[in-house]
This record gives sequence, C-alpha cells and structure tokens, in this order.
Amino acid sequence: MYKKPSAKGGTAIRRLMTEYKQLINDGPDGISAGPIDEDNFFEWECLIQGPEDTPFEGGVFPATLTFPKDYPLSPPTMKFTCEMFHPNVYKDGTVCISILHPPGDDPNMYESASERWSPIQSVEKILISVMSMLAEPNDESGANIDACKVWRNDRAEYGRIVKANVRKTLGL
Amino acid sequence: MSDMSDDYDDDYGQGSDDGFGYESYEGSDYGDDGNDGFDDVKPESLKRKPYEIAYEVLSVSDIQKQQDELIEQVSSILGLSNENAMTLLLYFKWNNDRLLEHYTEDPEGVLKKAGVSISDDDKFVYEIKPVEGFFCDICCEDREGLMTFALECDHRFCAECYRQYATQKIVDEGESRNITCAGDCTVVMNDSAIKTLVEPQVYGRYQTLLHRTFVLDNEHLIWCPAPNCEYAVKCDDVSAKDLTSVVPTVTCKCGHRFCFGCGLPDHQPSICALVKKWIKKCEDDSETANWISAHTKECPKCRATIEKNGGCNHMTCRKCKYEFCWICIGNWAEHGTSWYNCSRYDEKSGVDARDSQAKSRASLERYLHYYNRYANHEQSAKLDQDLYVRTEKKMTQLQSTSGMSWIEVQYLAQASAALQECRQTLKWTYAFAFYLERNNDTHIFEDNQQDLELAVEHLSLLFGKPIHELAELKVQVMDRTAYCNKRRENLLSDTAKGLAEGRWKYQVQVK
Repeated sequence: MYKKPSAKGGTAIRRLMTEYKQLINDGPDGISAGPIDEDNFFEWECLIQGPEDTPFEGGVFPATLTFPKDYPLSPPTMKFTCEMFHPNVYKDGTVCISILHPPGDDPNMYESASERWSPIQSVEKILISVMSMLAEPNDESGANIDACKVWRNDRAEYGRIVKANVRKTLGL
Repeated sequence: MSDMSDDYDDDYGQGSDDGFGYESYEGSDYGDDGNDGFDDVKPESLKRKPYEIAYEVLSVSDIQKQQDELIEQVSSILGLSNENAMTLLLYFKWNNDRLLEHYTEDPEGVLKKAGVSISDDDKFVYEIKPVEGFFCDICCEDREGLMTFALECDHRFCAECYRQYATQKIVDEGESRNITCAGDCTVVMNDSAIKTLVEPQVYGRYQTLLHRTFVLDNEHLIWCPAPNCEYAVKCDDVSAKDLTSVVPTVTCKCGHRFCFGCGLPDHQPSICALVKKWIKKCEDDSETANWISAHTKECPKCRATIEKNGGCNHMTCRKCKYEFCWICIGNWAEHGTSWYNCSRYDEKSGVDARDSQAKSRASLERYLHYYNRYANHEQSAKLDQDLYVRTEKKMTQLQSTSGMSWIEVQYLAQASAALQECRQTLKWTYAFAFYLERNNDTHIFEDNQQDLELAVEHLSLLFGKPIHELAELKVQVMDRTAYCNKRRENLLSDTAKGLAEGRWKYQVQVK
C-alpha cells in the first residue's frame, strides 16, 4: 500500500565513508573497524578487544559487518569470525543484540523500540554495545542456549571455556 | 446520547421485531419501527427493555469529532495549544481526568514526561527549510540548499531522512502515540509536525492509527469485531465489574450483534463469565465425553474408566485388580460356575454397582444433555440461515405466483430473522441453564426456555413448507413470528431482571 522508504543512491556510501573517517581519526579505545576492500564499502572487518575484568580480557575478536544497500535506514549484520562462546552470539558467530534489530522486527518480542536500530545509530555505537554485551550477557534472549545454561548455572565453567577461546584467537 | 441510542435501537436493535403493524396481535408490543410514519409518537413499547442497554455506534468521523472535543476541552482548561494538549492526551491514553490531576500537581514534570517541549515562542512553526552550513548526521549530506526539518528540540536532519524515519515509524511499526525526535531525545512528534513532514497517504494512516488508540484506550469504546467493519460502539454505562449483572448486547450499524463486554457474538442471556467457561468446557470435553459415554464403563470399585476391547465378560480391573462382570457390573465371584454368561441381573452387588455407576455417569449425561441442545440450536441456526437464502428466492417466486407485492412477502424475511435471533438466544439458554443451581427460579427459567423452544420449532416447521402452501399460511407465519419474538423478549427480560437483582444462583464461581 505504501512505498517502503528507500535511500537515495549514494547515501549509504557517503555515510559509510564519513563513519570510516571518524573512526580512523577519533575512534574509541579497544575498537577498530574499516572496509576489507576500499572498492566495496558494504563489507567491513572489525576487531574488538575483550573488556577488562571479564573472561574475555586479553582477547582480540575479529568480526565482519555487512551493510544493506539502504543503510542507514536498516542496520548492518555482525558476525564473529572467531570461535565465540557467549549467550547472545549464535553458534555461527552472528550477533543477536537489540541495536542490530531493525525497527518493527523484534524476534523475541521484548525489546522496546528505543533500544533498536535507528538511522542515528552508527558503527561506533554498535561496536561499543557489542563490547558491553561481552561484559554483561543478556540471558533473557539467548541466541546460544548452551552458553546461556553454562553462564547461568556454572560461572566458573563459563569462564574456563571463554578463556580457552581467547587463547585460540591469539594463536596460543 | 440517549436519544441517539434510541434511534439505533429502532433501526437496528429490533430489526426483526417490526411486525408490520401487528397491533391486533394480542399482547404484541411490536409494531413501530419508524417505517410507518409515526416516528414522532413513541409508544410505551419503545422504551428500553430490561435486557437492552444504551449505546451509540460511532463512525470514523464521529470518533474524530470526539477526539477533537476532548483536545479542545483540555487545551482550553490548561491554556495550551491544541497540539500540545493532544500530545498530553496521547501520553495519558486519552484519560483527561488523570491528565488534569497529574498536570495540576506537577505541570513541568508532566510536560517533560509526555515529550512536550514548550518553546519560548508562543507558537512553534514546523517548516521544511534550508539552513546555512548544514550537515545531516544520517545521510552525511551537506549540499547547498538542502531541505531540513526539526522539532522544538532543534535536532535537525535533512527533510528526506526525517521523512523516511517518520514514514517507517508509521507504516512499518504502526506507531502513532510515541514517535519521538529522530535524534536522541524524547520530544514527541505531534499531529502538525507529522502533517508537515510526511506524504498525505502516510498522514492518513497516522490518523487511522490514532483513532485506533483512541478506541482501544477508552474502556467505553470497542471496535465492531465484524470483518471489515469500521464502526466503533460506545457504551457509557457498562464497565468490567458490571458484567455479572448485565449482558450488554449491542448491534453495530453493519448489522453485527455482539456483546460489548467480551466482543463475542450475541450471547444473551448468559453472562460473559459463564460463556467463557462454557466455550472452554465444550472445546475440552464434548467429543471426549460423548465417546466415553458411548464406549466405556467404570470399574465398580475404583471408578477407573474401562474400555472393553475384546475377550469375555469376566473383567479384571488393571488398576485395583477387582474382578467384575461386564454385563451386570456385579462382583464376579457371585457368578459362581456360570462362566462367560451373566444371568444374575438382580444379584445385590450388581444392583448396587449399577446404581453408583449411574450416579457417576449422571453428571456426564447432564453435561451432554445441555451440550447437545446447545449444539443443535447452533446447527439449526446455520440451517435456517441457508434456508433464508432460499427464502429470498421463495419471496420472488411468491410474488409472481400469488400476485403478492414485495411488501406483502416481507413476512418471510421477518420470520427468518426471528428464527435466527431466537435460536441464538436458545443456544445460550442451555449454556446458562447448565450452570444454574436447581431452584424455583431455575424452574421458571426452564419453563420460559421451553415455551420459546416450542414456539421456535413450530415456526421453523411452517417456514420449511413448500412455496404454494406458504402463501396460505401467511397469517399463521406472522402470528408465529410475533409469538416467537414475544417469548424471546419475555425470557430475556426475566433473565435480565434476575441478573440485575442477583437472583440467579450458579453452581460455579463467577467473578
């Protein structure tokens, strides 16, 4: 009935370039991100440092960000390319976090619209959210049920598995 | 308001009752539906009957009008602009009493929470305009002459991005009440901001959504549940706690009759709580109960339900190991040597066992008694509905074969409508009766029920007669139709009075 809003051509590229520039000049600590190939601005690679005082401390976790053509109206998807044992990360590495869910699409029916994607969010905000997600998992909406269970019932075991993964990502 | 509702009652509430000037029929209260030109003379009979309630059917424009009136009222009391008054009302879910109460306590706090930003200019004007040296944070565009938009909070984005944002909120998310600024703040986009920004058809959608919240938030309003019906029904006198003493049945302008309390189709005389219990019970029980009743017996000792799927009559209960005879339900030991053969019908243990079995089956049978009659009327109503389709054909045939005019054959339509309504009522009398305690009032109720049932079956019989007989039976059909309606009215009036007086005693707890 109504035309779904679509971004003008070039909006996505222009916006992604601006964000890239900002991240290079003034990116927050513990995060780096940028296009894998400067010819394709829709595929990014990023690295996230494990937050301090968590089992993830000391690790550096690689992930890819895939942007849709109508970015920033729709959010990108994020997928860890290393092994990740975390309640909110699917076994294939896809991150399940409210800021990455487009508005109107709430798979778990618990997020308020305000926590979700909106055009004024940015790559930087996503990566910061993911970092705090690593520190504080949300076990109400588990993506990896096994990780949820271990995190809830046996925190020591959870720490052990995560630390083992950290060592693997560092190639130790 | 009450005038209006009376009009609706006339036109819709008694569609079947307008017995073509049947004043001669003894005791008939029907006769004036306003078609005969005596609209201004309102006889006693048009007063609301005990089982009817005052209500009003609202069209979309009526809803808009009510919305506007409420906004006007609040803005004049608080001295705010209409837009801000509306945003406040939306925040308080159109409850102006609560709004005024909270506002007088803490005006600034309320405005802030509701997302109203009072700017210094008396009236902030939303406009789409270019701004010197502007850079849009969403699309990163900074072209000269770029059109921009902002709310009172001055979080400015380019108009295109803002429009897409608002359109997405309205169209994809179905949001209307709480569309906040596209930036990180809580200022709410009000009606005129939306109107300035989005395309006309999206604005139309926004208004529809607002109407929807207006109806859903108001406990005295309900949408007509009929498919594609756009009317809402307003009923001021009924609230949730009254539903044990009244069955608020309303008829929408689209012709759908339903209960204001629960939205289900007309279920007079049963109250909503019983209807809910009954429907649940029927879903759970009826088929299972039928099967149990037909195929099983109970162990005379432990009451386990047993199906005999082969073998001889010497039964041994799996559960309690009691041995009994399938035929007489008596203790097997008494059968002595006459194995595989039961000729001991009068033996004491057999008689006792059958007695107690009978008792435990009685409650099942009782339920099935009511259920079967309930289901029968439901089924018959469907058949009568099919019949009505054929009746229309009959009516045209009658016109040509007997030389009657269109007006003269309307009695068949009246009869059909009466059948439908009466069967609907009868159906629910059985659900109601199932839960009633046995006492004198229940007896009276069942007498009324029986009278109505007889009347309906008689009319149904006449109604099904072949076409050439129908013309001769016209007077009889009309008499019977009026009689059915009268019986229905009596039954409903008596039950409604009983409900209001709290006369009915139920076997179950109703809230």
